[in-house]
Amino acid sequence: MVSFAAEPIIRLGFFSITNSLLDALLVDAILVGLILMLRKRLSLMPGKFQVIIETVIQEFYNITYSVAGENAPKIFPYFMSFFIFILFANWSGLIPGVSAVGLKEHGQIVPFFRAATSDFNVTLGLSILSVLITHFLSLNKLGFKEYITRYFSLNPLNLYIGLLELIGEFTKIISLSFRLFGNIFAGEVVIGTISAMFALLLPLPFLLLEVIVGLVQALVFAMLTMAFMAVLMTPHAEEVKEEVIES
Amino acid sequence: MGFLKDLGFDPVLLGAQVLNFLIIYYLLKRFLYKPVMDMIKSREDKIAEGLKQAEESRTTLEKTLEEEKKILQKAEIQAQKIIEDAKEQALDASRQIDENAKQEADRIILAAREKIEQESRDTEARLTQKISLIASDMVAKSLEGLISEKEQKQILEKTLHNIKNVN
Repeated sequence: MVSFAAEPIIRLGFFSITNSLLDALLVDAILVGLILMLRKRLSLMPGKFQVIIETVIQEFYNITYSVAGENAPKIFPYFMSFFIFILFANWSGLIPGVSAVGLKEHGQIVPFFRAATSDFNVTLGLSILSVLITHFLSLNKLGFKEYITRYFSLNPLNLYIGLLELIGEFTKIISLSFRLFGNIFAGEVVIGTISAMFALLLPLPFLLLEVIVGLVQALVFAMLTMAFMAVLMTPHAEEVKEEVIES
Repeated sequence: MGFLKDLGFDPVLLGAQVLNFLIIYYLLKRFLYKPVMDMIKSREDKIAEGLKQAEESRTTLEKTLEEEKKILQKAEIQAQKIIEDAKEQALDASRQIDENAKQEADRIILAAREKIEQESRDTEARLTQKISLIASDMVAKSLEGLISEKEQKQILEKTLHNIKNVN
């Protein structure tokens, strides 16, 4: 049975290296491997691998530019990094055998690797980071005065709206982290249960479903982060003007 | 916050995961996005440069063709002029040759006429001399024995003088 908390594999005093952390390190290793492989082959006349990577990066940059406009160069690295890391973390739990190899504790197998995003610490950490980076970029772009007027104003109505905006920032963390954690953890539980019932062929459709879920969840997290960044980097007055024009 | 504990919340682990993400973010940004974007940009620049050069080459080709056309037109006009000049010169030369030939013919005719007249005069003079000689011989033979030799000579000279005056 998959537990909510990630299981510790190695204990170093107060710090435990859990299977989700090991999985995150595995994802890092895969990504570093891909980076090294690409850097080795990078040339003006691209090969198939370079074409795929360039197309993906270019398309994601175009999406960022269509949403964020001139802020795209600053937002794009975060958007892309969240997407790549979460995608690989989601899919890492689907590698056949990954959750079957581990330590035997109390008659149960504790796997060495567990999809990093099925650990609440990872999704919460990524969500907090996403919101913090969003505010850092906003502060950097708008300046302190413009940034703070979004939340605090002498006008009572604006102050009330600002308060709601402030609450909204915390709900962003909750919604981002729980959505990702819930989807991936549920997927792990479903696959674990189905595999326990009948391990041959039956889990295959669920694995395929989880591949799609992993992709969609990575996209949702990254796109929302990008949209939040684009919104908070736009001056409040411009935002209101756009809304008036649209209406 | 008990539910967070149930979900396995661990601030240290959370910090480690955040740090892990920040490291991978830095690596991706520094060694993946930047080189790839730079490569795409450099390729775009190269393509733009190639297109620009192609456009320049096309413009140069068009200019060259235009110039070639102009040169050909100019050459055609010049050739036409040269042909016309040559025709004109040929006509002049022909006229000159005709005139020269005519003059030469006139000169030759005149010279021939003069020569004929000269020869005619010479023949006449020789003939007169011969007739005079015959006449003097005839006079001398007819008067032989009738008059003295001195009278004969005087008569002969007078006759010859008369003949000459007649001529």
